[in-house]
Amino acid sequence: MRLRVWSYYFKHAWNNILANRLIHLISIGTIGISLLLFASFLVLFLNLNSWIMDWGQSVSMSVYLEDGIDQKTKEKIEALLKNLPGVELKGFTSKEKAFRDLAQGLGAHSGLLDGLKSNPLPASFELLFRDVNINQINPRKMKDEIEKIQGVDEVQYSKEVLERLEGLMYVLKVAGFIIGGFLCLAVLFITTNTIKLTIYSRREEIEIFKLVGATDWFVKIPFLIEGAIQGLLGGLVSLAVLFGLYSMFFLKKVHVIGLPVLNIAFLPPDYLVSILLLGLVLGLIGSFIAIGRFFEF
Amino acid sequence: MIQLFHVSKNFGGNVALKDISLRIRKGEYVFITGPSGAGKTTLLRLLFGAERPTEGQILIDRINLNRISRLNLDLLRRRIGFVFQDFKLLPRKTVFQNVAIALEVIGERSALVRKKTHQMLRAVGLSKKEEAYPLQLSGGEQQRVAIARAVVNNPLILLADEPTGNLDPDITRDIMILFRSINLRGTTVVIATHSRELMRDTDQRIVHLSEGKLVGD
Repeated sequence: MRLRVWSYYFKHAWNNILANRLIHLISIGTIGISLLLFASFLVLFLNLNSWIMDWGQSVSMSVYLEDGIDQKTKEKIEALLKNLPGVELKGFTSKEKAFRDLAQGLGAHSGLLDGLKSNPLPASFELLFRDVNINQINPRKMKDEIEKIQGVDEVQYSKEVLERLEGLMYVLKVAGFIIGGFLCLAVLFITTNTIKLTIYSRREEIEIFKLVGATDWFVKIPFLIEGAIQGLLGGLVSLAVLFGLYSMFFLKKVHVIGLPVLNIAFLPPDYLVSILLLGLVLGLIGSFIAIGRFFEF
Repeated sequence: MIQLFHVSKNFGGNVALKDISLRIRKGEYVFITGPSGAGKTTLLRLLFGAERPTEGQILIDRINLNRISRLNLDLLRRRIGFVFQDFKLLPRKTVFQNVAIALEVIGERSALVRKKTHQMLRAVGLSKKEEAYPLQLSGGEQQRVAIARAVVNNPLILLADEPTGNLDPDITRDIMILFRSINLRGTTVVIATHSRELMRDTDQRIVHLSEGKLVGD
């Protein structure tokens, strides 16, 4: 009995979608676009987050030396740096090399440096700390300790940039919640109004159902199913379009002047299922609101 | 089967029914008559639970309509057939589908829905028009579809509001014969009409309403 009634509900909901196919096509398309925006944002957010996580695994540090230190002090500093936990000494840049590198970097504008009476650039050691999380290295603490070494002028590390990026990620996350919230409201609005229109187009049938003794839920459930199908199809459309765009633009590594710079990953399976479920639940809630407002007889 | 105790119904300041007390027994065949505006339709709507009385009590098969829940009212309606003057058929559904609706809403098995619907359409003489759409039928045929839908569930009570109002005399006679045959199978039939023609040669009970009051029984 129960299975029979549910198959009746599904058949009825599907027939109703077919009977009002234009309204539903427009609605599914609009839900698809809303969820596509949301899913695109998720792709961006997840990839940025993953790059930052990878990047955050290693920290590079520049240890700038005071001017005029003797060779013995330099060697002493080098020995101390080599003994730091998880460190790899990548190299030493003398004042002269730093100046040459700067002049090379300026290229045609290197003449700007001609007016300098002395070389203002400091000598430096380049350090790399790998697996900072595993080795429990605190870059800020490390910076403070190195700066205490005699002959060291200043220490700069890449994590400072990373921390700023993490701040940006937080802003993106908040923006994502706000945008996602608005998109969800848009999907709800679309579904509610589509279901209202289909209820309106079937008001005669509903009246007759009630006359012959249909319970409220007997009349309402097909509309709920209709909303859920609509949301689910909207979700499927969004993922299909997203995958199409991804295949066209991001399936291979994005190249800039021949160098592979970006490897954009598609949404993982659990996120795909979540977007479909989100569409389904929003469709269900939208139709629930619609029937709540309509069925007052 | 149907009991009304001092029932009144007002719509705003307008009195539609005033202090009606009435008892209709199981298997009775009753005409509710009176001029337009006498309160016949309001009375049927009260019996169907589409309206609640302003005062008084209505009992249908010993169920008090004043105290009935929405769900139980829906279930009670499965035992009351209703026939309207304008038929209330769905134009985009076939004759068969229009009748089958009454069985589908109660969750009847598809095989039984088919069997009962075929039988009922045969009983009202429309077995050859099962696949036709209502607008392809004559007025009398449409009314027979509406009657088939109202009685396919074997209701305890059949209420009909001006069921022959749009029909010519020959078809009216056919429809009245159909109502009589339904009544002879044990269904209580209550027909509201202002047509004196319908009651000219009848020996059935006639309840007269005028300006919302019961003036003759």
